[in-house]
Amino acid sequence: MLEEALEHLVKGIVENPDDVHVRARRLRKGKVLEVRVHPDDLGKVIGRNGRTAKALRTVIGSLSGGRYVRVDLLDLHEVR
Amino acid sequence: MSDSKTDSVAESRASVAVVDAPEPDDAAEPGTDIEALENEGDIAADYIEGLLDIADFDGDIDMDVEGDRALVSVVGATLDELIGERGEVLEALQELTRLAVHRTTGTRSRLMLDIGGYREQRRKALTRIGADAAEEVKKTGEVKPLAPMTPFERKVVHDAIAAAGLRSESEGEEPNRFVVVHPVD
Repeated sequence: MLEEALEHLVKGIVENPDDVHVRARRLRKGKVLEVRVHPDDLGKVIGRNGRTAKALRTVIGSLSGGRYVRVDLLDLHEVR
Repeated sequence: MSDSKTDSVAESRASVAVVDAPEPDDAAEPGTDIEALENEGDIAADYIEGLLDIADFDGDIDMDVEGDRALVSVVGATLDELIGERGEVLEALQELTRLAVHRTTGTRSRLMLDIGGYREQRRKALTRIGADAAEEVKKTGEVKPLAPMTPFERKVVHDAIAAAGLRSESEGEEPNRFVVVHPVD
């Protein structure tokens, strides 16, 4: 559900919604949600002073019901 | 609410100004025309409704236009996760919703989101806080600083103090910015 919620929230605010991909990875405790967006949209999902990224993390953190969830925002082509 | 004093008006502008990138263009008028505000409400309602569906929350969405801004309210269910402590999740959702509106309309939105009546209740409580502080300052004649508040909260308090005939200003830096009540001189 969290992946889907995050994908919805991000798709709604970017210029290239078709390029939004969310992938979940397990951590030893909790998980990471990796969001990949079009390079032109990266600044948008981060926002000035990270405001938008913080808003996304706040909402996802609240929906996760207390479990640890990290949200990483990446450029579509970034390799890691 | 729209006839508030210059201080609080300047403040609500300032709180919008930090939301994101520069103005889309100078031709973009502040959304005062009703149709544009209703359109904002529709876009916002779709965005929020999508989230409610995914997260499996029940809740109806009401839309309204209040003064010069669109108001979208989610009502009906237990929605504590969408409000958060001191309304922090609500503020985050409002910010994202404004960005979603901006993406579609190209105009910066001042849309107000409420969930589970949180803002309405908060507004009542804060109006009370403002009125009580104004009474106290009238009696003592001394400047009185209040607790740190969000931009929305300060706006409500400024309005209540102005209604009581006193002057107030905001001081300090976010997120610890607070209202200071001044006696008449």
